[in-house]
Formats: sequence, C-alpha cells, structure tokens
Amino acid sequence: MSPELVSQLSVGGSTLVLLAGLAMLWRRGVRAHIGAFTAQSVALAATTAMVGWFTGDWQLWAVAALLLLIKGVGIPILLERMARRFGTERELEPYVNTATSLLVGGLLVLLAYLVTAPLVSVSQLPTRTGMPLAMGLVFVSLFVIISRKKALTQVLGFLMLENAVALLAVLGTHGIPIIVEIGVFLDVALGFIVMQVFVYQIHETFESIDVEQLNRLRE
Amino acid sequence: MSPWLLGPVQAALALLLAPGLVGAIRWMKARLQNRSGAPPWQPYLELRKLFAKEVVVSNNASWLFRAAPFIVFGSTVAVTLLVPLLAVPLPFDGAGDLLVVVYLLLLGTFFLALAGLDPGSPFGGMGASREMTVAALAEPTMALAIFALAWSAGSTNLGHIAARVLATPTEALAPGHVLAFAAIFVVTLAETGRLPVDNPATHLELTMIHEAMVLEYSGRYLALIEWAAALKLLVFFTLLGNLFAPWGIAAALTPGALLWAVLTLVLKLLALGGVVALVETHIAKLRLFRVPELLSASFILALLAVTASFLLR
Amino acid sequence: MTAAPFLALLLSPILAAAGALVLPPRWRTASVLHAGLGLISLLAALRFVALVLDGWTPTWGATVLFRVDALSALLAACVAFVAALAALLGPCLGPDDHYTPAQVRRFRVFSSLFAFTMLVAVTANNVGVMWIAIEATTIASAVIVPLTVTKASVEASWKYILIGSVGIALAFVGTVLGYFDFVTLVGQREYALNWTVLLANAPVLHPPVIQLAFVFLLIGYGTKAGLAPMHTWLPDAHSEAPSALSAMMSGVLLAVALYAIVRWKAVVTAAVGHQFPNRLLIGLGLLSLAIAALSLVIQRQYKRLLAYSSIEHTGLMCLGLALGPLGVFASMLHLVNHTLAKSMMFFVSGRILDRYGSPEIGRVSGLLRVMPWTGGLFAAGMIALLGLPPFGMFLSKFALVRAGFADGKGWLMAAVLALLAVAFVSLLAHLNRMLYGPAPAGIRRGESGGWAVVPLVACATMLVGLGIAVPAPITELLGRIVEIAGR
Repeated sequence: MSPELVSQLSVGGSTLVLLAGLAMLWRRGVRAHIGAFTAQSVALAATTAMVGWFTGDWQLWAVAALLLLIKGVGIPILLERMARRFGTERELEPYVNTATSLLVGGLLVLLAYLVTAPLVSVSQLPTRTGMPLAMGLVFVSLFVIISRKKALTQVLGFLMLENAVALLAVLGTHGIPIIVEIGVFLDVALGFIVMQVFVYQIHETFESIDVEQLNRLRE
Repeated sequence: MSPWLLGPVQAALALLLAPGLVGAIRWMKARLQNRSGAPPWQPYLELRKLFAKEVVVSNNASWLFRAAPFIVFGSTVAVTLLVPLLAVPLPFDGAGDLLVVVYLLLLGTFFLALAGLDPGSPFGGMGASREMTVAALAEPTMALAIFALAWSAGSTNLGHIAARVLATPTEALAPGHVLAFAAIFVVTLAETGRLPVDNPATHLELTMIHEAMVLEYSGRYLALIEWAAALKLLVFFTLLGNLFAPWGIAAALTPGALLWAVLTLVLKLLALGGVVALVETHIAKLRLFRVPELLSASFILALLAVTASFLLR
Repeated sequence: MTAAPFLALLLSPILAAAGALVLPPRWRTASVLHAGLGLISLLAALRFVALVLDGWTPTWGATVLFRVDALSALLAACVAFVAALAALLGPCLGPDDHYTPAQVRRFRVFSSLFAFTMLVAVTANNVGVMWIAIEATTIASAVIVPLTVTKASVEASWKYILIGSVGIALAFVGTVLGYFDFVTLVGQREYALNWTVLLANAPVLHPPVIQLAFVFLLIGYGTKAGLAPMHTWLPDAHSEAPSALSAMMSGVLLAVALYAIVRWKAVVTAAVGHQFPNRLLIGLGLLSLAIAALSLVIQRQYKRLLAYSSIEHTGLMCLGLALGPLGVFASMLHLVNHTLAKSMMFFVSGRILDRYGSPEIGRVSGLLRVMPWTGGLFAAGMIALLGLPPFGMFLSKFALVRAGFADGKGWLMAAVLALLAVAFVSLLAHLNRMLYGPAPAGIRRGESGGWAVVPLVACATMLVGLGIAVPAPITELLGRIVEIAGR
C-alpha cells in the first residue's frame, strides 16, 4: 500500500466521518441522527483498520473491532431503544436554523484547517492529510451540542466528539498505547450509560427531553 | 476532419439527442412506477406539434417576451460548443472555459425569469422569484465545485480538466472529485428543475418553478424553450459524465474514435438518466423552504471538495 | 517496600465500595468499616508524604505507571483527608438524616469510587491514565448528584455530566496533540505518555503544536476546575448535590483538575517558555475571579454562595500559578487552605440544611442561637474564606499578592484586590444575615449528633494553625512542588 494511496484513503475516510457529523446538522429527527452516528462509527472503524493494515499493527485491528462492536452496534442499539421511548418528539427548530447551521459548519471546517496547519506541516506520516477534517469534526460536534435542544441530540453530539478525537489519534499518531485506548473505551461506554440513565430521569421528571425546560437554576 | 467542424457537429448532435434524453428519463420513470408510459421518442413528436401550432401572446407582453426564447435557445446552443461532448481539445477552447459555460447557462435562466415576469401573470412572477432563489443558492456551489476541479487540474479549461483525469485515472476517485461530483449532481437537480427541487410533470401551478415561468408560452416559442431545457439537461449530464469519468472521449478526430465517443456519451447519458429517474421515483418533492437546506448541504460538499483537493496537493 | 503504601492507598476505596455494595447499610459495622477504610487511605497518603519528605520518589508498575512526587503526595493527602471526612460525616441513617437505605448505599459505593478515581489521577505517571481517571471522576460523582431526585437536581446533574464530559473530551484532544508532538520526534513508544519522559523531552517539542495542545488542555481541565467561562455547571452541581459530595467536589475535585493543569504547564513551560502559558492562566484566572466576585452579590442560596466562592478561589489559584515561583508557592498553599476550609463549610452547610430545611439564605437566621457550635464553625469558615487572619487563607492570599507585585504585575494585583473586596463585602453581608437575627418559629435548638462536630472543629483548628505559622513539613513540600511546577 503506497503512502499516496494511504493519504487518499485517509482523506476519504475522514471526509465520510465529517459528512456524517454534518448530517447531524442537516437532518432532523432522532432516527436520522442515530443513523448518522452509526455510519460515522463504521467509517471510523474502517479508517482505523486501513491504518492498521498499512502499519501492520495488530493493536489497531483490535481497536477497529472494538469501535465497530461498541460504537457501531452496541451504542446504536441502546440509542434505538431510547428513540423508541422519546423518538416521537421531533427535534424542534433548533437555536440556529438548518441552513445557517450548515454554513457555520463549513466555516468551522475552514477554521479547523487554519488551526491544524502547524500539525500537518510538522508530521511526516502519510495519514496526516486527514487531520484537519478530524479537528473540523471536533468543532462541528461542539456546535451540535451547543445549538440543539433535545437531550438525546446532545448525547449524540458528545459521542461524535469522542469519535472525532479517536480519528485524530489514529491519523496523527497511528493509535495511542493500548492501555489508554481500552481505558478510553470504558470511559466512553460508562459515560454513555450514565447519560442514558439521566435522559430517562429527565423524561420522568420533566415529561419531555427538551433541554429548554432545564432552566430552573439561574444566576 | 477539420477541427473547426467539430463545434457545429457537437451542437447538432446535442440538439438531436436532447429531447431523446428527456423522453428516456420519462420512460424509465414510468417503468419504475409500473406504468407503460409514453415511448422514449415522444418529446420529438411534441416538438414537431408545437412548431406547427399558432403563437398566442398576451397583450401586456413586451419585446422581451418574444426575444427570450431565442436568447435562451441561443445561449444553450453556444454552451454545447464549449462542452467536451465528443473530443478534447475543443476548437473554441480559447473562447470559453467552465466559468463561461456556467454563466451562459445562467444568462438563459435570467432571461427566462424576466420573461416569466413580463406578461404580468401571477404564476409567472411566482415561478420567476422561486427560480431566482434556487439559482442564487446553486451558483456558489457550482462555482466552488468548479474551483475544486480546476485546482487539481491547474486550469478552468474544460479540456484540460478532462485531459487530466484521463492522464491519471486514480484522480477520478480522489475525495475532492467525488465530493465535487456529489455537489454538482445536486446542482443539476436544482438547475434543471428535477425532483426533489421541482417536479417537471406537475400540473399544479402552486408547486411549479420552471413550468410556472413558461406558462404563458405557446407554439414555436414554447418549442424553443422546451428544447433549450432539454439541452440544458444534456449539458449538465455531459459535464458530470465527461469531466469526472472522461473515458471514451476522442483524443484524435478519426471517424472510429468519434463513433466510439458518441457511443460512450449515449451510455453515460442513459446511466445518469437512470440515476435521476431512480432519485425522482424515490424522493418526494421538498417544500420550498427546505430547498435552501438542501442547497446549503451541497454547498458544504463543494467546500469540502475544495479543501480536500487543497489538502492533497 | 513500595507496593504496600500504593495498595493501601488505592485498594481501600475499592474495598469500601465493595463493602458498601454488599453489606446492608443499616448495620453499624457497615458504617464503621466504611469510615475505617477511609482512615486507612488517609494514613497511606500521609505515609507517602513522609516518604517524599525523606527524599524518596515511590514508583509502582511495569512502565512506571504510578509515581508519587511532592505534588502527588500533597494532593493525595488532601483527597484522602476529605474522602475520610465524607465517609465519616456523609449520609447515614441517623435521626436527623432523611435518606433511605438505598440512597445511603448508593452514596457510599459511588463516593468511594469517586475517591479511588481521584487518587489514581494524582498518583498516575501516565498522562493517559490520568485522563481516564479524571473522566471517571465525572461519571462517578454525576451518579450521586441527584441522590434525591428533584427537577433542580436532575437539571444540575445533566449540565454537570454533559459539560464535564465535553470538557474532558477537549482535554483528551490536547493530550493526543501532546502525544502527537512526541511521536513525530521520537516515534511511538509505550512510555511516551509518562510525565517524566514528556518533561525530559520538552525542550525539543514543536512550539506551535504544544501551544495548541495547551489551549485545549487548559479549556478541558479548566472546565473541570471551574474556570470561567466554562464554569456554568459548577454552581448548580455543587448546590444540588448532597453536602458530603459537594465537599468532595468543591474541596478536592477542583484541586485535582488544577493538578492536571500544573503538570501540563510544567511541560509547556519547558517547551516554549513561561510567557504563553502564564498569559492564558492569568486571563482565565482573572475572568473566573471577576465573574465569581460579581455573582456573589446576588446569591440567595448559601450552598450556591459557597460554590461561587470555589470558583473565586480556583481563579485565584490559577492566577497564582502564573506569577513565578513565589506565586506557585502561594497558589499551592492556598490549595491546601481552600480544601480544608471549603470542605468544612459544606459539611456545616449540610447540617444547617438538615435543621432549617431550606437552602435559602433568607430563611436561615439566628444560627448562633439555634446551633451554637455549627454557627460558630460556619462563621469561622466564612471568615477563613474571606481571607482574614488568623486563618491560613490570609497568609496564602497575602503571599499571592506579594508574588504578583514581585513579578511586576501591579495593575493586575490592583484588579484582584478590588474584586476580592467586592467578594468580601457580599460574603460578610450574607454571613451576618444568617448568623444573627431571630430564629424561625418552631425550630429545634441544640446540636444533633454532637460527635459529628468534632472533626469539623479539628478542621478549623488546622486552619488556624496554618494561619499562625505554616508547619515546616508543608513548607518543605511546597518548595519541592515549586521546583516541579517550573517557573
């Protein structure tokens, strides 16, 4: 596998991951969001596997398998269950409307290019070409969390942020030491489970998962 | 064959194929919807009928109303001289590149919109304003996607762009190219009035965009406008096909190569037509206020295309 | 030799969690066991302090996974102390408490896990493991914030876990960038995420990359530390959580987050000099101080008041880190004082809440008459937080301001003093309203569970002790920390 091909595939994989993130800004409806997250996790797993093949590092294959299992299958199943409980509540018009959100997303991707320029120039790895897109996804996920009104969408935004950082790690450093990787997975899984419990709690206490209702604590 | 003859030959071929393309798409849609549908050569019969019919012009219309069909037709035919339908390089390369093509097409749209406003009918005005909204949102996308292609090819000249992809086949699958393809595909659907932006087969005036503008036209004027619309569709498909997958284009002007070019062109047109027919059958028309969202999404795709080509330089 | 203290320190909270899970909360032995294990952890931490003062740097683990130097030892001692207090004074099934056995069990399990994760965070040598532990602290503590489920507590816990997790994710971006920088120079290594290795290689790291990494790290760990403008979760979470948990969160969790910042600041300073990190720290610190001081004026609930006070003090500590070696010394001294004072205050406010039944300042009056010891401790703690002698905070604040002037930042210190004055006036006003005045009708007088006051009185005494003269071991420890933290 030549470095140029790896470069192209990195950009291709990162683009797919970023597009799935932008789909969160575009589509409304919980099902579409969960689908976008699942597609993103699969693309991320594929990119990790590709880098693993290129470097011959079996640990990356293990990480790709874990990604697929936990984020591509496990978490979406739990999310589907949640969606069935509160999915009938469509995402209301978010704080920023769709067209503007998409344009802001584009601007954030451009900002990410500026920010990661020193990184790309410093690195020698062929996978470095996808790093700006991973950073773009970090910014886009932050925007999703800030601008959406449903607790479930905010949880998805957080999960996408974690995906973005994982992508950054894979592209920039060809993976991080395996203990840390496993720890990160555990953290994300546990964090998600606790968030899930909280969303159920919010629903029971407030009769909806609209974050605008959470406004009792002020000043 | 002299290279200067290539231009008129291309134009003639395009004029000949365009109604057939529209008919083919209509036929494929009908088959997908389990109807038998009209035969694929129905648009030719329609054109012949329209040319024979009498022209009725509103009393409120001005010279613009009569001139617009010719301007639209003329500009679209001029575009066919600049697009790499059959061979590369083109004789008129010096006269125009991709940007000229885009803006010639926009010229046609502009005059059509004016003509919709001219007779003073409400539906015409409504169609014109909607058309302008769509065009205004689709233009930046088109420009950016072109920029993405031009960046990797080093020039906005259509011939050069096609030649570059011919030279390095792996470029065709470069992320920048794929994204630009997706963006231009969405723009094609928007500019040529296809679902999900506009329904070409609708008869409800409130849902029309393109049809509403030409509601007042009849006879040979309508024939010219319909032909120009079909030609526009062909041009966009040619751009999609021959810029992104240029295999089959003749490099030398020998009869064999030209015949092969015609064959591959027809194949690409039918393939793209099939895709559009599928898309139209599966997707419902978007409500008008959702169209900016779709076009913003395609704008982002074009933006990513530019940055992806920039990255891989 | 060195494995035993580590095991005692880290295993005790795990055993406490397991015990709380298995044993019925009503049993007397369960409470005693829980408190006892907390005490063992504290003793282990103190043993580490002694070892470090003797000149050792205990390590443990194959790739030197755990390493305790002066900074780690100090923080481990703080964490273990507050955790032991929480184990002793936390929700139990006494007469004044209104918790169900299920709630008590849940609290004990998760607060022990919380303590465990904090201890791992401060003793880990690996930056990645530290990150994992700090993320785990968010999860462990968020579970028990809504111990009693009300609309307010659900809202608070949601904001906490969302903002906290997002912040930590950004800190992870920074960590990855730091690792990336190292990898581009040396290549992938198992031990590349160790502090010692990062610090040793710091001078050759690429400046723009490490600067970008520090921005992410500061924003990320700053969110956990309660620095503005990422502080919005703090007043809600700290006021809605049960008092023992608030004490742990305000007292030591903020300190642990600050610990992470101090560690990374050392690396960044070694790489790009002290200008860049100092400027960022001053900016965030000043902003936190300003927002907190101005918010203190309009507070109507005393636990929220204490939470904003935490933001104010974290801002001060952050500022101190940017004022040179004297500033670092002052900042760390302030950390110790704040841990003592704030945890004591939250425990005391828990007692007030139990008696008066309302979190509003307006509803609490005549504190000195209703609960003399509690009222006295509350007053003492508040005076300590104001920075008045004879309490320790006075010394640390004074040292901080002096460091600022010594570093040539006179105008900055003037702004700080002005903001501290604003905080002073508002806190004093609220204190007066609570201490004096007529007691509400029908309220029970006298201390309940008198023995619970004893550890709190001990805290107050320690604060006074720190205020009169800082003990030599602590000065020695702080001196070592200044060396570690870099200029």
